[in-house]
Amino acid sequence: MKNTFFCVLSAAALLPAFAVADAPKTAHPDLSGIWSYAIDLPPGAIKKQANGSVTVQKVNRGAMVATASIKGALPSTPAPSYKPELQAKVKDLFDHESKTDEVFYCGKPGVPRIGPPRKIVQTAGEIVFFYEDISGDPYRIIPTDGRPHRADADPTYYGDSVAHWDGNTLVVDVTNFVEDTWFGENGYFHSDAMHVTERLWRDGENLIYQVTVDDPKVLTAPWTMAPRVVKPSTEPLEESPRCVEADANRLVNNDHHGQR
Amino acid sequence: MGHRFGRILTAFALVLAAGSLWAHHSPSAEFDMTKRFTLVGTLTRVDWMNPHIVVNIDAKSEGGKVENWRLESNPPSWFRRVGVSRAEIARGIGQVVTVEAVRAKDGSLYGYMQKLTLADGTSWELVSGTEK
Repeated sequence: MKNTFFCVLSAAALLPAFAVADAPKTAHPDLSGIWSYAIDLPPGAIKKQANGSVTVQKVNRGAMVATASIKGALPSTPAPSYKPELQAKVKDLFDHESKTDEVFYCGKPGVPRIGPPRKIVQTAGEIVFFYEDISGDPYRIIPTDGRPHRADADPTYYGDSVAHWDGNTLVVDVTNFVEDTWFGENGYFHSDAMHVTERLWRDGENLIYQVTVDDPKVLTAPWTMAPRVVKPSTEPLEESPRCVEADANRLVNNDHHGQR
Repeated sequence: MGHRFGRILTAFALVLAAGSLWAHHSPSAEFDMTKRFTLVGTLTRVDWMNPHIVVNIDAKSEGGKVENWRLESNPPSWFRRVGVSRAEIARGIGQVVTVEAVRAKDGSLYGYMQKLTLADGTSWELVSGTEK
């Protein structure tokens, strides 16, 4: 009886130690949560008239390019620097974007064009990004436990990701992309050597998302984009409706607007 | 990083002083922005799809023949974020409704919907959001 009581006490004394062992060794910022829809929507509003009342509801646009300086952000430039012999190709792709851009035809934007995630679930060894996109709703399961990139994976639109913490910033290293995507709207094509670094950190209640693209086969230097400020959201994620492109055959010229 | 629904609005703002219109292509490349027209007919289907929602209207031509019009509008994610669900619009299926739109330049029975009014007078109109 006495021994049994002692054993129970010992087990109880060990419980806090187990709990500590299960927790992450270092306290990192928690990026978990639902974040604003990352795709820039048209501004404007809907004017509804019903039963004699009129309401105007403006669209809530949530993930914007930072207009003020952001603490912790890397210096950015407006455009990537392509090798001189490739600049005409970039211009030609962009000039004919409504014919040359897969995203125009509901294609997957890939990383980094898909932008910041709509939801993040952070655990001790992995961080999971969820997205809502008009091409579908991809997810990315990203190891944060020091694993290297997979050696056996085929190239994909969203690449192969591993991440680590640099202070309070999550640094996601992404490689192994298909060559079909653009990394930006202006005909920014890339090669199989594209290497994307995403940096995510908290700025108060907001999430900051900044991307650097390197591709030594097509660029003269890595390109760091302006950071984007993503506000927290309470809107639950929803399955995106199917995407069916129906306009291309009605276009009478090459005019187009920027896509994501 | 650019965005799918981004810069088009500047073009729309220039073309349409009042009202907002979105497409993932230049609007003037597809629609005659100067000719807003009104269509009265039966709402037969509401396709809540990307990159544009599409409503289907059976309307009689001047000669009395029933024509199937398809009118696209802003993306479903846009309507969601101004608080309009598919169900609100789809309750008008089977009703005679009124649509204001701009027509496709290729002459097909296709347009970009600016305003939809159901039989009970409930209406939704794309506006800039700056008007009083």
